Amino acid sequence: MKGRTVLLLLTLLVSIGVGGASLAASTVVKVGMSGRYFPFTFVKQDELQGFEVDLWNEIGKRNNYEVEFVTANFSGLFGLLETGRIDTISNQITITPERSAKYLFTAPYVIDGAQLVVKKGNSEIRGLDDLDGKTVGVNLGSNYEQLLRDLDTKGTIKIKTYDTGIEHDVALGRTDAFVMDRLSTMQLIKKANLPLEPVGEPFERIENAWPFVDNDRGTQLRDAVNRALEAMRADGTLEAIAVKWFDVDITQ
Amino acid sequence: MGFDLQYMLSLMPILFRYLGITLGMACWGLVFSLILAVVLALVRVYRLPLLDQLSQLYISFFRGTPLLVQLFLLYYGLPQIIPLFVGLDAFTAAVIGLSLHFAAYKAESIRAAIIGIDRSQREAGLSIGMTEMQAMCRIILPQATRVALPSLMNYFIDMIKSTSLAFTLGVAEIMAKAQMEASSSFKFFEAFLAVALIYWGMVLLFTQLQNWAEARLNRAYNQ
Amino acid sequence: MIQIRNLSKAFGDNRVFSGIDLDIAEGEIVALIGPSGTGKSTFLRCINFLEQADSGNIRIDEVSVIVHNARRADILALRRKTGFVFQNYALFAHMTALQNIAEGLITVRGWKKLAAHDRARQILEDIGLGDKGDHYPAALSGGQQQRVGIGRAMALDARLLLFDEPTSSLDPEWVGEVLALMQKLALRHQTMLVVTHEMQFARNIADRVIFMAEGRFVEQGKPAEIFSSARDVRLRKFLNQVKTY
Repeated sequence: MKGRTVLLLLTLLVSIGVGGASLAASTVVKVGMSGRYFPFTFVKQDELQGFEVDLWNEIGKRNNYEVEFVTANFSGLFGLLETGRIDTISNQITITPERSAKYLFTAPYVIDGAQLVVKKGNSEIRGLDDLDGKTVGVNLGSNYEQLLRDLDTKGTIKIKTYDTGIEHDVALGRTDAFVMDRLSTMQLIKKANLPLEPVGEPFERIENAWPFVDNDRGTQLRDAVNRALEAMRADGTLEAIAVKWFDVDITQ
Repeated sequence: MGFDLQYMLSLMPILFRYLGITLGMACWGLVFSLILAVVLALVRVYRLPLLDQLSQLYISFFRGTPLLVQLFLLYYGLPQIIPLFVGLDAFTAAVIGLSLHFAAYKAESIRAAIIGIDRSQREAGLSIGMTEMQAMCRIILPQATRVALPSLMNYFIDMIKSTSLAFTLGVAEIMAKAQMEASSSFKFFEAFLAVALIYWGMVLLFTQLQNWAEARLNRAYNQ
Repeated sequence: MIQIRNLSKAFGDNRVFSGIDLDIAEGEIVALIGPSGTGKSTFLRCINFLEQADSGNIRIDEVSVIVHNARRADILALRRKTGFVFQNYALFAHMTALQNIAEGLITVRGWKKLAAHDRARQILEDIGLGDKGDHYPAALSGGQQQRVGIGRAMALDARLLLFDEPTSSLDPEWVGEVLALMQKLALRHQTMLVVTHEMQFARNIADRVIFMAEGRFVEQGKPAEIFSSARDVRLRKFLNQVKTY
């Protein structure tokens, strides 16, 4: 990291020259994640770790990859993918029709559901039907916004998108509820010490997988990762990693 | 919920490790933005044909659009038009983005300082046989520096804090690190307070430098 | 050695002066007097191109410049032959008195700093400010600043020194010391063109006095002639008004 400051200009020239270089099969795989999605990807005492990290370390071992984790704000991850600066995103990316049209997804590795969460003691909202005229928060760029809009047939739900702080706003009462995936919701409620509670059953089956860019390299990697995933599922490694982080098997 | 001082203190050394990245971006940004700002200011002061209009356009765009948007366009947008730019790494892109953005503001500060210097200063320089460039470099700019310094320092402080946007490009600087740690410990208040103190500390340091610089520049004006 | 022919200048519709001819011999002291706003300062500033006249010709020694075709090199050459003393002194505010005087030698003549500072110190002694070299303009009185201003112009051994109302901005107590310095220069046969309201100076020091009004040199001659037996009625009126001599 110190080197940058010395040869910035040269780096600039060289890196522009090298840009767009061949994407020939290499063993370096760059995996993007936000580092801010406990327990899937998070940083503790300056060490990046989590469910996604463990999975990729395992995949890397099996496929002989040198896995390089790249952290960026969630809103920047798809940009990194588009511009080829990362090969895939490992941040609980849900398979949606729109995304499938653009990217090559692997087989799902997590089966999850959407969960509605409210401030503890909120008697007004007990389920999805009680959202008329309420303000519901979703994370920027997540597919929950689309989910809610699909549910909001009468157009009475006020949807608020967040970059960060979604759980705080609901805990403080500024927003009535939020929708997030069930798994992280559980973890959040357990650890965050905020007055929150889930309401209603998880809705909408959610399948999360790894997206790859639709080109030769992307196809190659996607297929290889699928093979590794299947092997991990078959010999129980996948379940073991899931249980380590969630106490339950979330992979099916 | 009590305040976990222990946790906050434990974060400090971690954040300090990445202070270099934040400062690195800010300092390189300072250098490049200043150089560009002086050029833009001089182009406008001398009303160089065509270049003056281009400068105005530049200043208008980079002051008129949010820094985050500019970083996005530079790092994610440009490579889609010119594939060559994919090779641009995030740190460099952040430095370029910060430089281009703040140069627009600084150019106006510098221009204001230059035109504020009494015109007889330039005339005196010319009258002893200096060229316009010599008069500008030896007489006007040194005096304009003193006038522009507080404003330029304002922008530098702004730049330091704006480096936090670089995480969108993937640069792990102190703000990102604080947010990431907080996301795992859920101790948001402690984490943000820790990073706030570090930013403050940096700004205090630079403010001291500014005071020292101003004292030196003001030497000539004390009775 | 100084020849100005047919110099004219207008600002838009405002015709400041036109068709002015002027010859100045080496070592001659010329005072330019007249009512305010008649273009005396503008005329002076045209000589060293702080203003650019519209037409005419300016020649100093071997440097001859046609005004409306003037190239940068010509303008620089003219400026290097002249020195200018400003009404508001215009000292370089961020430099000491010493540095002010030395600046031209270093930046324009390319002298080494040491040599330039030595010469500047000599000049400071000469103008009576030997102990004020390290002072910044803000710490000097008006009279001292103007003397440094003269010193700065002197440093480059200009062929012609132009003075633009050098004492008009000074408190009365400082006028004397500045005029004394100018007299000292005059006695050394420095060629000078002085725009001034100081009639005493014009009368006692100048070799020739020119009265300018309505954009023309109306009358000129030796001080004795001008002050005692002025012919032009406007000049007589003017002299009556400034009757402090």
